[in-house]
Amino acid sequence: MNAQKIEEKPKTEIAGDEPIIICRSVNKWFGEFHVLRDVSVEVAPKEVVVVIGPSGSGKSTFIRCINRLEEHQEGQIIVDGMELSHDVRNIAAVRREIGMVFQQFNLFPHLTVLQNITLAPTKVRRRSRDDADTKAMQLLERVGIPEQANKYPGQLSGGQQQRVAIARALAMEPKIMLFDEPTSALDPEMIKEVLDVMKELAHSGMTMIVVTHEMGFAREVADRVLFFDQGRIVEQGTPDYFFESAQHPRTKLFLSQIL
Amino acid sequence: MTTIQERRPGVINEAYYEEPATKPPPLLAVGPLAWVRENLFGSLMDTCLTIAGTLLVIGVIWSFLAWAISWANWFSVTLNLRLFMIGRVEQFMDLRALVLALFICFILGVNLAALARVSRRVWGALTITLALLYLLPALINATVPLPPTYLAAGQIEIVSGSVTEVPVPTLGFIAHSGETITIQVAHGIADSDAALEKLNSFTDRATNAIRNAAENRLETEARIAELNTLLAGDTLTVRQREAASSELASLEVPPPVNEALAVNQTPVDVRILDANFEPLASATLTTDTEPLTIAVPRDGWYILEKSVEGNDSSVDILAINGVYPILERNFLRSDPTDTNAGPQRVYQYCRATDIFMVEGGRPRIDGEDIPAIGIIDHQYKNARPFSDYLILMLAPLLNQIQLPVALFVALTAIGYSGARWVDRQFSPASKPRSTSRRAATWLWIVLPVVAFILIAGIMPNGPLQFSDSQLWGGLLLTMLLTAVGIVGAFPIGIALALGRRSSLPVVSTFSTLYIEVVRGVPLVTVLFMSMLLVPFVIPSLGGPDTAPYRAMVAVTLFSAAYLAENVRGGLQSLPPGQEEAAKALGLAGWQITLYITLPQALRAVIPALVGQFISLYKDTSLVAIVGLIDLTGVTKNVAAQTEFQSLLRETYVFISVIYFIFSYVMSVVSRRIEASGSGAARRV
Ligand SMILES: Nc1ncnc2c1ncn2[C@@H]1O[C@H](COP(=O)(O)OP(=O)(O)OP(=O)(O)O)[C@@H](O)[C@H]1O
Ligand SMILES: [Mg+2]
Repeated sequence: MNAQKIEEKPKTEIAGDEPIIICRSVNKWFGEFHVLRDVSVEVAPKEVVVVIGPSGSGKSTFIRCINRLEEHQEGQIIVDGMELSHDVRNIAAVRREIGMVFQQFNLFPHLTVLQNITLAPTKVRRRSRDDADTKAMQLLERVGIPEQANKYPGQLSGGQQQRVAIARALAMEPKIMLFDEPTSALDPEMIKEVLDVMKELAHSGMTMIVVTHEMGFAREVADRVLFFDQGRIVEQGTPDYFFESAQHPRTKLFLSQIL
Repeated sequence: MTTIQERRPGVINEAYYEEPATKPPPLLAVGPLAWVRENLFGSLMDTCLTIAGTLLVIGVIWSFLAWAISWANWFSVTLNLRLFMIGRVEQFMDLRALVLALFICFILGVNLAALARVSRRVWGALTITLALLYLLPALINATVPLPPTYLAAGQIEIVSGSVTEVPVPTLGFIAHSGETITIQVAHGIADSDAALEKLNSFTDRATNAIRNAAENRLETEARIAELNTLLAGDTLTVRQREAASSELASLEVPPPVNEALAVNQTPVDVRILDANFEPLASATLTTDTEPLTIAVPRDGWYILEKSVEGNDSSVDILAINGVYPILERNFLRSDPTDTNAGPQRVYQYCRATDIFMVEGGRPRIDGEDIPAIGIIDHQYKNARPFSDYLILMLAPLLNQIQLPVALFVALTAIGYSGARWVDRQFSPASKPRSTSRRAATWLWIVLPVVAFILIAGIMPNGPLQFSDSQLWGGLLLTMLLTAVGIVGAFPIGIALALGRRSSLPVVSTFSTLYIEVVRGVPLVTVLFMSMLLVPFVIPSLGGPDTAPYRAMVAVTLFSAAYLAENVRGGLQSLPPGQEEAAKALGLAGWQITLYITLPQALRAVIPALVGQFISLYKDTSLVAIVGLIDLTGVTKNVAAQTEFQSLLRETYVFISVIYFIFSYVMSVVSRRIEASGSGAARRV
């Protein structure tokens, strides 16, 4: 994958479209600890939202609430018109529409790369094995590692593993992709190959929420940047606004520390 | 020697660009010698330990071998091999058990091909072992003569201590067709009591009594000599002197046994008859006559008559080749042609020296079975010579196992090469072993069914008739309990492990309670409870013929609890990210367990599971306590046979070897699985 080939992504027009993700005053506690406080966000289809913020501010918890890996206790989360509640069918339906990529890749070590990718399509979407295999090979092509199809995850480099993880999530043909610090566990030379895949994905019109510390990526790809602190969205805006003229002192402090 | 210039920043040491010259390490730092020096003689302490340890090991092995070769009565093993392998089961089970064992070997062969490669070296070693298994006994039989059997003839009473024996005039024996029987008056042994005492081979009771009498007399003589020297010296106290002289007064040396019994002084009449008392040969023998030889016409019983004509005061000792101790066995067998008649008791006679077998046909005189020499009469008083060990103990054992072992190896090889051939024909190049893997899986699935059909039987008569489960025993029962324990415990154990982690309180409480209660109780207790309680719960499991099934229930329930804990450990060792990733993909809870967590958990605990299975395999020996005759139980059975009264050492050594072989194979397999990387994180 070559970075130069990827054109500048046209910034998504947020207004107009019906939002695909709606969070209304979402609150969550871990025991006594208030992790998410009145988080309200709407994400439009094809929008790329980057979430940044200091460690422990609740970024992971927030995006994990969106596919119900964590349960929120107050407020509403509506994904693609379905509200996340205790209704198991809704949860299953929502999870089918959302792909997630983890910091630690979380590939299934006992399955080959190909099996990792085809498992969910065959078992959840009930695709035939041949269809799933063909699709998986296309995806591997897309993330740039078709030759690794029959290897086991343990035989791949970190960057290759993360690209397999992205392909695995894409195999379910999700409408939304969640990324939780996808490059934080990678060596510097591997970060780029993963970011390239993500840029290409954003360019293709995928709705994405990305938790990351890669400010270059945020600047280049994001339609909107959310800044989290102590479980709240402190400030949000376009990358230009955010990196040039953020107002809140917490944001300024944070930016001054990482830039 | 660092110069200032070299330490300046920005200056490169040219030496780093030159190819570094390699030189070999000093000889004393590598190689076996260095290893020995470092590990065995590193310090004074090490040296002492090494020497002491080596001496200890050599001493132990040496005394074991001395016992095993010179003293141990391995007949208790060689003549009971069937009992050790399959117990007292009906005769038709011989073939069925063999077929089952061969089928298992075939499966193992297919699995070998599916999962590993067997190098030419291993095949070579196997071939050599097999060749030895055939060559060694053949060589022994060809070169080492069987010791003769010594039988007494005469009408005189032979007294030895409290035992009085009269030689039997007629004696039955079994022989091969074409075998030569040679009878002569024993040379040399009657010359003196010292010679009589050395008489060491198969004997009848009377000869044994003569031997013992000679030994007693020599011992008395020696004791008197010893007391005389003591009394002549001045080392004794007054009291000791008194005791010694009174003992001396009480001792009396009988006349030499060979003279008192006039051993080999008179001619002896011998006749050989067939089972219908038709005479085949006869002769009157003295020490000077040619031996009587006869080649017997067919397999079966023969009769030896011997008498010292008209002389009631002398005895002859005959040295006979071809008449050897016989072990009698009996079992029930139903007639395949007559299904109405119940099972008949069949008598089988087995010659100790070569396991030659004859069924029935034992002649009777005066309404009694004709006497025969039993193994009990064969009592080595002195150390057995090595040649006798070879021909009497080793050769019969090897002769008995050579054919089964050859068949086992052959079937394994057939399974292996068959699977490889099938792979070459049908497997795609990308997955070269997929066909054999599928075949291996199917074979394992079929195995329990085949095993059940072969062991329990499925029809009232015919080759697959029902077998009496009460008679199952030996290695067969041990393996059966182990296999059922493993296979049955798997689903139950996994269910319990998942149950214990379940979020449903009823399920998790029940699982936890079950696991903790069973793990808190010894297996013997579980066995007893299952023997006594199961009939109340399931009345159809009440009869004595269901005892093996009840033991299986106990073993299964017991090992399920341990398996559950192992599997739970495996589940807990998985990073939580695995389950999260699966959830995020939209897999349902049961799919996550089935496809993601369980396979990984099981792979992660393979070593623990194999360890558990090995200990289960050994723990099944406890069923001997509840009356089942498994491999361990057989030792008690053998020790209860008249021929092998309270002989336990030999049989325990033997079953230890069997237990060890199977445990060792299991642990080698588990180590191979670990090494092949089928563990949690798979690297092929
Ligand atoms: N399962 C949990 N139980 C209790 N506390 C938790 C749990 N998960 C997270 N927390 C706490 O919630 C807070 C927010 O965690 P979260 O992982 O969302 O932070 P984050 O913003 O993603 O941080 P980082 O950048 O380090 O990943 C942290 O203080 C963390 O300790
Ligand atoms: Mg985080």
